[in-house]
Amino acid sequence: MKILVVDDFSTMRRIVRNLLVELGFSNTLIQEADDGDSALALLRSASFDLVVTDWNMPNMTGIDLLRAIRAEPATKALPVLMVTAENNREQIIAAAQAGVNGYIVKPFTAITLKEKLDRIFERLAAQGATA
Amino acid sequence: MNAVSSPLLGGSLPPELRQLLQSPDGTAFEQALDTLVRQREQHLFRALGVLARDLHDAVRRLGSELAHEGVPDSVADARRHLHDVLDMSAQAAHRSLDFAERMRPQAEALQQSAARVLAGGTGEAAALARQADEFAGRCREGLSDMVLAQSWQDLSGQRIKKVAGFIGSVESSLLELVRLTGALAGGEAPVAAAGVSSQDEADRLLSEFGF
Repeated sequence: MKILVVDDFSTMRRIVRNLLVELGFSNTLIQEADDGDSALALLRSASFDLVVTDWNMPNMTGIDLLRAIRAEPATKALPVLMVTAENNREQIIAAAQAGVNGYIVKPFTAITLKEKLDRIFERLAAQGATA
Repeated sequence: MNAVSSPLLGGSLPPELRQLLQSPDGTAFEQALDTLVRQREQHLFRALGVLARDLHDAVRRLGSELAHEGVPDSVADARRHLHDVLDMSAQAAHRSLDFAERMRPQAEALQQSAARVLAGGTGEAAALARQADEFAGRCREGLSDMVLAQSWQDLSGQRIKKVAGFIGSVESSLLELVRLTGALAGGEAPVAAAGVSSQDEADRLLSEFGF
């Protein structure tokens, strides 16, 4: 499994990586990008199973990254989990409309991260079963 | 056409203009009109002059206050200090993460060793192994909490970035104000604000206005 963690703060990328390892994603290749632009470049060069992204980033924000992912045929079905300090209604609605798979408000706990990830993968499995 | 009764030029006209409009002497009318316009222009220019002087004084005062307060002795310094705080907090958070990443495998190894001892025996060794297992488990939980607690750096860092951005915009507005008041009070400004790209240029521009 390959996960891409996108955040302009290196500490946050490391925290998410630590939590993923702790949640059992130890056989997972976790790659990092510090904004939407570099994340898109990575996504175009290799296939990933999940993107965990921040919202507020220079150059390309998380919401623009999400829209770009949905706009490209190769990545349009890629699960995207947003982990952000932005918790106002409009932004959550914008993320939902752009097709986000999960939304976590910082600061968060490992349990919250686990719940959201489980739900994403459960839905994917259900989709795979019906497809 | 009767100018006075025209809805366009009606009662809102000053009495002297209304009188002029009724005067049959064309040259006198134009001269009087010129005088009136000049008088108004002078009022406007005087008001603008006062405004420019006040503005210039205020900016000069602000500049000298910034220079005399010492720390931080300029707006750019304030922004630099904030970036230093950002870097230092990131370093501190990474050190804590280093520690957690170093200790987690040790706690896991201790748990595994304890499990082996527990499986093989009873008595004091097993009791100690149980205790070690519990301790290692609690350590792992604690390390995980500590990792999560480092998100303070991201959350506070985002706010610091916003404040630094705000200070940057205040700084460019201030420079623009200095340039404008300089132009108003002393003729042409030496450098256009749009051309200010580096800190050196900004400092030079400020110093040309005595900051």
